[in-house]
Amino acid sequence: MGRQMDRLERECITYAAYLSGTPPTPYLVEKYLDFHQKLGETARPREKARTDAFDSFLVEVAARGALWTRLADSYARIFRPNSLLRKKLILVLALLECSPPSFERLDRVPAGGFAGAVLRLIAASVRFLAALIVGAALFGPVRLWMARRWNAS
Amino acid sequence: MERIVVVGSGASGVHFALSCLLKGRAVTMLDVGFTGEPHPRPEDSLVGLKRNLADPVNYFLGPRYGSLALPGRHGEYYAFPPAKDHVFRPAGALQFQTNGFSPLSSFAAGGLAEVWTGGCYPFDDQDLRQFPFGWDQLETYYTRVAERIGISGTEDDLKSVLPLHGGLQPPLDADEHSAELLAAYARRRQHLNQRLGCLMGRARVAVLSRDLDGRKACGYSGRCLWGCPRQSLYTPAITLSRCRAFPNFQYLDGLYVDHFRISGSGKVRSVVVRRADGVMEEIAADALVLAAGTLGSAKIFLESLHRDSGQILSLSGLMDNRQILMPFVNLRMLGRKWNPDTYQYHQVAMAVRVRESGEMIHGLITTLKTALIHPLVQTLPFDLAGSLTAFRSVHAALGMININFPDYRRQENYVTLDTSSTPHRLAIHYQPDVSEPARLKQTIAAFRKVLWKLGCFAPRPMIHVRPMGASVHYAGTLPMSESGGAGSCTKHGASRDVDGLFFADGTTFPSLPAKNLTFTLMANATRIAEEAF
Repeated sequence: MGRQMDRLERECITYAAYLSGTPPTPYLVEKYLDFHQKLGETARPREKARTDAFDSFLVEVAARGALWTRLADSYARIFRPNSLLRKKLILVLALLECSPPSFERLDRVPAGGFAGAVLRLIAASVRFLAALIVGAALFGPVRLWMARRWNAS
Repeated sequence: MERIVVVGSGASGVHFALSCLLKGRAVTMLDVGFTGEPHPRPEDSLVGLKRNLADPVNYFLGPRYGSLALPGRHGEYYAFPPAKDHVFRPAGALQFQTNGFSPLSSFAAGGLAEVWTGGCYPFDDQDLRQFPFGWDQLETYYTRVAERIGISGTEDDLKSVLPLHGGLQPPLDADEHSAELLAAYARRRQHLNQRLGCLMGRARVAVLSRDLDGRKACGYSGRCLWGCPRQSLYTPAITLSRCRAFPNFQYLDGLYVDHFRISGSGKVRSVVVRRADGVMEEIAADALVLAAGTLGSAKIFLESLHRDSGQILSLSGLMDNRQILMPFVNLRMLGRKWNPDTYQYHQVAMAVRVRESGEMIHGLITTLKTALIHPLVQTLPFDLAGSLTAFRSVHAALGMININFPDYRRQENYVTLDTSSTPHRLAIHYQPDVSEPARLKQTIAAFRKVLWKLGCFAPRPMIHVRPMGASVHYAGTLPMSESGGAGSCTKHGASRDVDGLFFADGTTFPSLPAKNLTFTLMANATRIAEEAF
């Protein structure tokens, strides 16, 4: 139980840093744990164990650091949009937008006006494409390997 | 004194009851009547709530995270806030068996309109052409309801499709994005009117811009979606409170109306209710008025006739407004700051005559500000951190049009009683008209053109066609007519099947224009009460 809590806490810290650039407050971590305690099973997709294993792998890898989160998330956005990782990230986003002080950061409009907004959209596209290519190169073969291993067993 | 028994405390029921009470009649209202929690920290703005609540996540997402929109939730951009959970709390006894329809029902005190976004759009003569009365006979009642509930709005281009009535308060202060849209319309008005058949103006909403009957004018706290603590945004629970101040009003809550009984002479005799503890009780009625919403009233009617004669009837003509949600980006607003302390629902409305179908389609524009952002952010085509960055840059520029389509009574859409289970279920069958796919496509194209002319872009993949039943504008199962037969009612809502039985809700509408029907429900219920009782 304690190990599971540690793992969830690590996920929350990494995902919050990935999304907001700052570590989460103790309150936010508490709510993340509370969600898993109350609805942990419903957070999992209703799919076969084969895909569950790959989803768990993505969650595990993404919790290693913000860079890994970006790679796994970019891959999941296209190839596993309803995956466990996406659900956990969206949960953290929802917690960030509802609680202080993170909501103020999320509500703040970045400087630069129209030109800044356009540049940021371009930058987000480029960053996403790069992360998607790397993510696909890393996670695509793993997914295939896991699927084959599953079929063989 | 004859006792009028009203079933349901929704928009129709409370205005029917209040009108009877003002005439000195005695009214008993039967209701399940679920209520919510009081508003926390009423003096705080939305931002203040996020800062000051001890457990803000509990308030905004719910104790069991019911307002969390995880991927795969069918493209809805809003989840109902936890503060409104009581509105959709099931009563257990009303169950559906559905085909092509996703019904919502409410047993809350105030009914489904407790989550109404306040749009008040009167039906004009064109809309009322299948009704047994016209605008001139309904105008008085629109005015009366407007004076009761408080509607803000103004005279503008929309008056040709939204006729003016009395009792309007001045419009609310428009937020920057809404003002920008109206300015863009003014600049291109001629082209939009003549080439694209588009009219645009201020939305008329049941929100006070001036104090009324102890309710405060809108304080622009940004809390509209979570419930207005000042009662500036009207809900029927406000009128229910007013009814309860009358000595000749009896409000019996905790009661689920199962059916009514009919005397040997074919007249309503009593109502049979189920109490919360499961015990059945019979309440005498001289006149019974069903205002339980189209589906609720249909279930009571069908159940009663089945118990009386063993018949299983079908009520054809069920209608609902198909809705499309069309998110858009206003390019002029990109990178601008936004103000959360504004009114949150529709501030701008539009009507577009779609050339191919000839239909006048209405759209309500919400400029997205304090709604939870995670349902929308997750739909952007980047990783979540990138989507969030993009969203923050375009937040002030985001808007959503809620497009409403008209509906017509058709034989193939009906409700009936499913007696194969206990309790009996209401079986609902709905099939869209064969021409619908083409009409939706044409309308989407027309609205995207209008938006482009206004300097806005609506990404096609984000356009969401809501399932039938999602708009909760149900109507048409026992329509009013001058001379109909069984399965219809008179222009005063009197059933042609059972003496002493009246309908005061959407059940009675012979057609459903592309407008929110709530205001007309209230006006029609008031008309029936004043003219027939």
